[in-house]
Amino acid sequence: MARLTDLPPAAAKRYAELECPKFKTTPWVNGPRLAERRVAIVSSAGLVVGGEKPFRGRAANYRVIPSETRPEQLMFSHISINLDRSGFQEDWNVVFPLDRLREVAAEGVIGSVAATHYSFMGATDPVQMEGYAREVASRLKGDGVDAVLLSPV
Amino acid sequence: MSALGHYLEEEGIATVAISLIRPQTEKTKPPRALWVPFELGRPFGPPSDPAFQKRVILAALQVLEREKGPVLIEDFPDDAPRGRPDPAWHPPFIPAGVAAGSDGSLAARLVAEIVLLRDAHQRWVAQHGRTTVGLSGLPISECARYVADWLRGTAPASPREGFSAPLMLRFAVDDVKAYCLEAAAAGIAKPSSRQLGDWFWNETAAGATIHALREACLSSEDERLKLIAGNFMVPAARVRGSG
Repeated sequence: MARLTDLPPAAAKRYAELECPKFKTTPWVNGPRLAERRVAIVSSAGLVVGGEKPFRGRAANYRVIPSETRPEQLMFSHISINLDRSGFQEDWNVVFPLDRLREVAAEGVIGSVAATHYSFMGATDPVQMEGYAREVASRLKGDGVDAVLLSPV
Repeated sequence: MSALGHYLEEEGIATVAISLIRPQTEKTKPPRALWVPFELGRPFGPPSDPAFQKRVILAALQVLEREKGPVLIEDFPDDAPRGRPDPAWHPPFIPAGVAAGSDGSLAARLVAEIVLLRDAHQRWVAQHGRTTVGLSGLPISECARYVADWLRGTAPASPREGFSAPLMLRFAVDDVKAYCLEAAAAGIAKPSSRQLGDWFWNETAAGATIHALREACLSSEDERLKLIAGNFMVPAARVRGSG
C-alpha cells in the first residue's frame, strides 16, 4: 500500500522527488546479542502524552513517552492528513508497538524495554532536528539503551 | 526517520528504521532499515492483529544482528491483510442526502450528526477503552459548533488560550474526523481505511462541511487560514477534482 504505485499519482511524484538529507558519514554501531539489548521506540508520528500541548506546525523538538504510558493517554498530532489514522485509533501498536516490545522482552528475544521512549514531528526538516536528536541520544544512553526502533508514519 | 537513525547512530546507539517509502530510505541511507509494504500511518501493519505486528517487529529487530553494513535495507515480504475491504461492515445510520445543502444548513447538520453518532462512539470507547479525540481540548459538541461557526462565516475567536483561531480550527477539524471515524468503526466488522474514508468524505455532513470550509478558507485573506485550509483539512486524494 505504501508502494509508490499504490499512491495517487500526485502524491507518488511528491514522495519520489522529495529532497532528502545527504550525510558525509555512514555510522554503524555494533552491539551485544539481541537478547542482551535494551530497546527504545522513537516515533515520528507527533505523539504526545495526554495533557501536553500537541506539536505545532513543523516543530523540531521532541516529546518524552514514559513506558508506563497507557494507550488512552497517547495522542497523535502529526501535521499530515495524507496518512491513515484509523489504525492508530483502533490499536496504538500500529504506530507505537510498546505491547509487542514488552512481549518480545518477556520471551527473551530482547533484553529489556527502555524506561522512556521519544516522539518527533516527522514532517519537520530532519536537519532542524539534529540537536534534539543528539540530546535524545544522550538521554537514551543514560537509560542504558543500546538499540532503537525507529517508527515513521 | 532515517535521518534520526543517522544522528543516533553517530552518537553510538544502534538503530533500525521501519521504512514506508523505500525510495526515500534509499536516498537518506540510514544504517539499517526494514521496508514494509503497508499504508502510510501503519508502520507495524494491521490494527488488532498482534501476531502479524509481532512478525514485523521481530523482522526489524533481527536486522540489528546483521553483520553486513552500513546501509542495509531489507524487505518485509507480506502485505497487511486489513488493506482489503470488509463486506460485513456497515456505517452508522445518518440521514440520506445529508451531504447536500447551503453552508448554513450544512453547519446545522454537522452539529446534529455529531449527536446522532454519540451512541456509536460510546460503543467504540467501551470496546477499545480509549478515544483519540482530544487535540483541541474541547468537548466534541463544542468542536462541532466551532467548525460549524467557521462555515457560517462568523470566524469565531479561539476558545483556548495560547492557540490561534486558525490553529484551533485545525485541531477541531481533526477531532471531528477522529470522532466520526471511531463511531463508524464501532462493532465487530473490520473496515479498511478506504471504506472509512469513502463513507466520511462522500456521505457525512462532517466530510461535506470540511470540504466546504476548505473552499471558503482558501479565499480568505488570512495567510495562516489559507495554509491550514490548503494543507491540513482534506487529504490530497480526497480533494474534489483531484481525480
